[in-house]
Amino acid sequence: MSDRKTVILCVDDEDNPLVLRKLVLQKAGHEVITARSGKEALDLIGSRSVDLVLSDYLMPGMNGAELAEQVKAQHPELPVVLISGVNEIPPGASIADAFVSKVEGPDALSRQISAVLERGGTAAE
Amino acid sequence: MTPHMPVNILMVDDQPGKLLSYEAILEPLGENLVKANSGREALEYLLKSDIAVVLMDVSMPDIDGFQLADMIREHPRFQKTAIIFISAVHLTDGDRIKGYERGAVDYISVPVIPELLRAKVSVFAELYRKTQQLEKLNRELEERVAERTEELRESESQFRSLANSIPQLAWMADPSGNIFWYNQRWYDYTGTTFEQVKGWGWDIVHDPEHLERVSKKYRQCISTGEPWDDTFPIRGKDGNYRWFLSRALPIHDVTGKIVRWFGTNTDITERKQAEEALIKSERFAAMGRLAGIIAHEINNPLEAISNAFYLLRDHPSLDEEARYYSRLAEEELARVAHITKQTLSFYRESQQPVAVSLSEVLDNVIELQSRRLQVSGIALEKQIETAGMVQGYPVELKQVFLNLIANAIQAMPQGGRLRIRLCHSSDWHNGRSGVRVSIFDTGVGILPEHARRIFEPFFSTKDAKGTGLGLWISKGIVQKYEGSIRFRSMRDGHGNVTCFSVFIPALAASEIPEKAAALVA
Repeated sequence: MSDRKTVILCVDDEDNPLVLRKLVLQKAGHEVITARSGKEALDLIGSRSVDLVLSDYLMPGMNGAELAEQVKAQHPELPVVLISGVNEIPPGASIADAFVSKVEGPDALSRQISAVLERGGTAAE
Repeated sequence: MTPHMPVNILMVDDQPGKLLSYEAILEPLGENLVKANSGREALEYLLKSDIAVVLMDVSMPDIDGFQLADMIREHPRFQKTAIIFISAVHLTDGDRIKGYERGAVDYISVPVIPELLRAKVSVFAELYRKTQQLEKLNRELEERVAERTEELRESESQFRSLANSIPQLAWMADPSGNIFWYNQRWYDYTGTTFEQVKGWGWDIVHDPEHLERVSKKYRQCISTGEPWDDTFPIRGKDGNYRWFLSRALPIHDVTGKIVRWFGTNTDITERKQAEEALIKSERFAAMGRLAGIIAHEINNPLEAISNAFYLLRDHPSLDEEARYYSRLAEEELARVAHITKQTLSFYRESQQPVAVSLSEVLDNVIELQSRRLQVSGIALEKQIETAGMVQGYPVELKQVFLNLIANAIQAMPQGGRLRIRLCHSSDWHNGRSGVRVSIFDTGVGILPEHARRIFEPFFSTKDAKGTGLGLWISKGIVQKYEGSIRFRSMRDGHGNVTCFSVFIPALAASEIPEKAAALVA
């Protein structure tokens, strides 16, 4: 990793979880920008440099897997991590580089993100 | 009106002139007139053809009229043949004629009055014709009865061979419900004899638990004449009960009276099992969906709160006391996270079932528990007889054995022996082959009053320490694999031995129901 802070684009339709997740990631040393929907996220990716997308899975409109698919179509090298409170790895989520359960807690989230960043943006399997 | 079929009238006289005059008198009747010149000739005609009326002169040379009449009457075929004598009136003749009164006999005195002769002959001819028609009708009726009887006999035998060829058990009962016939399949299945099950004797192959209900409904239908149907188990000759859908229909005669009941019993054991399996898998799927919804609704705020406390953990503005409260809250939150992870958000690492080695799963679990084994002073004995390959999801299988092994360890706080055995086995119920894991401990044992409840959700003997969900979840997972989980707790001279035994069939990946696989617990 370079000296430059990694930029994480955090996507969630709910305010509180989005803000708190942003703060946790900032505390872990990342620069964080946020989007409230998949569409907003795609606009941001087009306008500025992003190192990783961390998106909630269940969102109105475009869900996390659909967002991951569009991100990968435009920027195959950009890593995408999905975070979700649902039981199952949802269909289509395998396009993302990692899938994190919300129950695992902040430390696990940070570890997963570091691992994905180190591995680089190659889609899992 | 019956068509006028001419009948034969035999006229007997030795004088041709008289015959000619009779012929002239009777001609208008339109019957066949046959002439005979002697008694002998008359007999020849009688034997050759059907004669309706014999008209004869009493005085003839060789055989006279009375002799001829006697000869005619002797022959059974002619006992009812009408005879009309033509004679001069003598007292003696009148007496003789009376002797024939029982038969159709009449006389005409000379000189013959044409109208009278015509009228008398006509009456007898008509009588003969009617009798002939009646006899013909009678014969036809008898033939039809014989034909119908044959048809019935054939249809009865066709019915029985049909009733013996159908896959159902079948029987017939009289209008009062007494069964008087069973098909061969009934005897083949139940292994009974007719003597045992005739009438109301069929109760011997019924499950006592269902008999009263079944018998009541059957009696009710017999008395009201309503078609009967019911579902109940019937014991086979091997001693096992199978489920049958049973029906009986009343058979009515033309007047609408019930003459018999015809009943069948159709084996629906497999259908019933499939339905139960479907209900079970639908229930699992519904639980899975519910768990998914709850998981989502709980896990989202849970993550936010966890993150908030994480940020508070070493926030510079907090003093020592506030940090202490925050740490307590974070610890309690960890408990919430633990339980939702165990019960609700149990997501899998792979979407397709994979080949899993239970031997590896067990090694993994034992490694996780190795410190607790050491601390409690528990001796471990492993009997691994197979790699224990099954199709499934490693994480949930790991959870099953983690629950069971953790329970065993917790049951032995003062130390003891933990024995884990993995072997090939088959299902105790259906003989399906698979893998069995048995976990023995020498711990506190299971109280008989707890035995029935230990697989219930929220049942725990560990007070605040346990969630009461471990065994319930484990059982749910094992059932999803169409396996079984059971336990025994025995007390011997040295103490207790408790064994939990898990059987998992060797399933093909495709056999794990997709919906049921989407389930958490």
